[in-house]
Amino acid sequence: MDFAIHNSQSRTIVYAKMPPPLFTTRESEGSSTLLDEKLLRFMEQLELLEEKRASLNSLIEQGWFSMSKARYSMGNKHVSPLQYASEMEPLVLVHAKTLDSGELDFSTERFEQKCCKEVGADNRSIEEIGPQEKGVRRRIKPKEDITKKAVNEETSSENAPEVTPVTKSDQNLQQDPLKWFGILVPQSLKHAQLSFKQVLELSAEIATLQTAVLSTRQELKHSKKHKHEEASATQLDSVAD
Amino acid sequence: LFNVDHGYLEGLVRGMKAGILTRADYHNLAQCDTLEDMKLHLQCTDYGKTLSSSEDDLTVSLVDSKLRENLVAEFSCLRSNALPPLSTFLDYITYSYMIDNVVMLITGALKQRDVAELLPRCHPLGAFDQMAAVGIARTPTELYSAVLVDTPLAQFFQDAVSESNLDEMEAEILRNKLFKAYLESFHSFCKNIGGATKDIMCPILEFEADRRAFIITVNSFGTDLSNAERSALYPACGRLHPEGLCLLGAAQDAAQVKDVADRYPAYKIIFEEPEPGSGFKTLEDRFFEQEVKLNTLAFLQQFHFGVFYSYIKLKEQESRNIVWIAECVTQRQKSKIHNYITIFQGTEQ
Repeated sequence: MDFAIHNSQSRTIVYAKMPPPLFTTRESEGSSTLLDEKLLRFMEQLELLEEKRASLNSLIEQGWFSMSKARYSMGNKHVSPLQYASEMEPLVLVHAKTLDSGELDFSTERFEQKCCKEVGADNRSIEEIGPQEKGVRRRIKPKEDITKKAVNEETSSENAPEVTPVTKSDQNLQQDPLKWFGILVPQSLKHAQLSFKQVLELSAEIATLQTAVLSTRQELKHSKKHKHEEASATQLDSVAD
Repeated sequence: LFNVDHGYLEGLVRGMKAGILTRADYHNLAQCDTLEDMKLHLQCTDYGKTLSSSEDDLTVSLVDSKLRENLVAEFSCLRSNALPPLSTFLDYITYSYMIDNVVMLITGALKQRDVAELLPRCHPLGAFDQMAAVGIARTPTELYSAVLVDTPLAQFFQDAVSESNLDEMEAEILRNKLFKAYLESFHSFCKNIGGATKDIMCPILEFEADRRAFIITVNSFGTDLSNAERSALYPACGRLHPEGLCLLGAAQDAAQVKDVADRYPAYKIIFEEPEPGSGFKTLEDRFFEQEVKLNTLAFLQQFHFGVFYSYIKLKEQESRNIVWIAECVTQRQKSKIHNYITIFQGTEQ
């Protein structure tokens, strides 16, 4: 607030520089509140993200450990890369959608088990990500195909990525990966599969949350900048007066 | 008279048995932080330089393979010097590994795995000449007539022949049917030998039969295996036969299986709820524990073949223990590291 006492001839006019007109107060209060809200939201999202990440790590560890228990019961060489083929059909698809806000939303969709007659009717093409492998990956893979094959649906963006046609496989059956290891598998292997299934779903959630966090951070930056600009504009105004 | 033919080998196996890891050995291994540390500790045991001679990266899988090689070398030494009927007895021990190998080759072929890739991973104790041809067979009948008819496994095929295509389900059924026939055959072989061999081996094999019946039942819940198909897989030479097996065949869930177990004191303990606070043990763990107990008893008597069987089985448990510790070390899951089963306490030799 600025006070200026102007002595003008015989009149003493007291001008009290009032605080910026009500209109401007609300605006700057408003943008502060908005900034606070965004900051709180950012913190909440970060906390949630950390929780989910911790959960993910623990599930992955659990899954691998359950697999070790299964190896203990079944024999070391009976739960190994020998039990699966190098070509496999995914059972889970990841959908990437761009929302109106510009954020990306990831969700997983699990295929229903099909019998061999129905397969082939599904015309969704699957995009292969990563190098095409001829050889065998020596690392023991988790239950489901972790190299997510993404299908883009209803994107508001114009650019659909190049979709390469799926390579033909002889095995038309989409099989429960548990069966790779036998029919009568121990409980520990079933637990392992459960853990990895949860990991898949959680991964999609985390991916969505990550893009949300980044977007909130951007918003925060903009809001801060905007508020800063506002504040300096107001200061200039008052100095000019 | 036993000693004339088999005394040397019994002496040999008892000597080997003395090298089985003790509680103190396991304690040292569990303290390790890396596989390299474990390798060092194992050098002080009968395993000596087994792990050191390898050039490859030390992985858990490699440890398992090396331990297996060690056992195979010991077994071959025993087998090459054995006279009948010990030689037949030792051959019987190898048949279970043969069955496992056959199934691994079949399922590997289903996954388009190259035979050259599969053969090295098969258990050497179960090796036979016609192994490379196993993956070509489409049905169990074809497998029998084209590949296995000249192998010792041929005798176990009476109930296992079928025209169904060998997919995962059929392979599992085949495995269990072959094993059932094998176990029953082994049991009557030991019975015929009589004497201490029969007294030691028959309870062990009966336990094995019952264990399989329980485990097959429990693992079949939630799968496509029907009750009737399942019942056909139960070996009949155990104590559960016939009433227990009948009841198991009808069981629909874990609670009903426990009911069946409760009728037999030996199995009631295995299925009992653990005391709160004690570490969680899987069903398989508890069966392994019981198996170890039965096998250690074999060494209390002399002049029978049971010591050979028990030695092999105890060494296998030892491998499982070491590999388990190795997995816990590499995955940094030290809390569960003590889930191994100590075989001998270390005071008796």
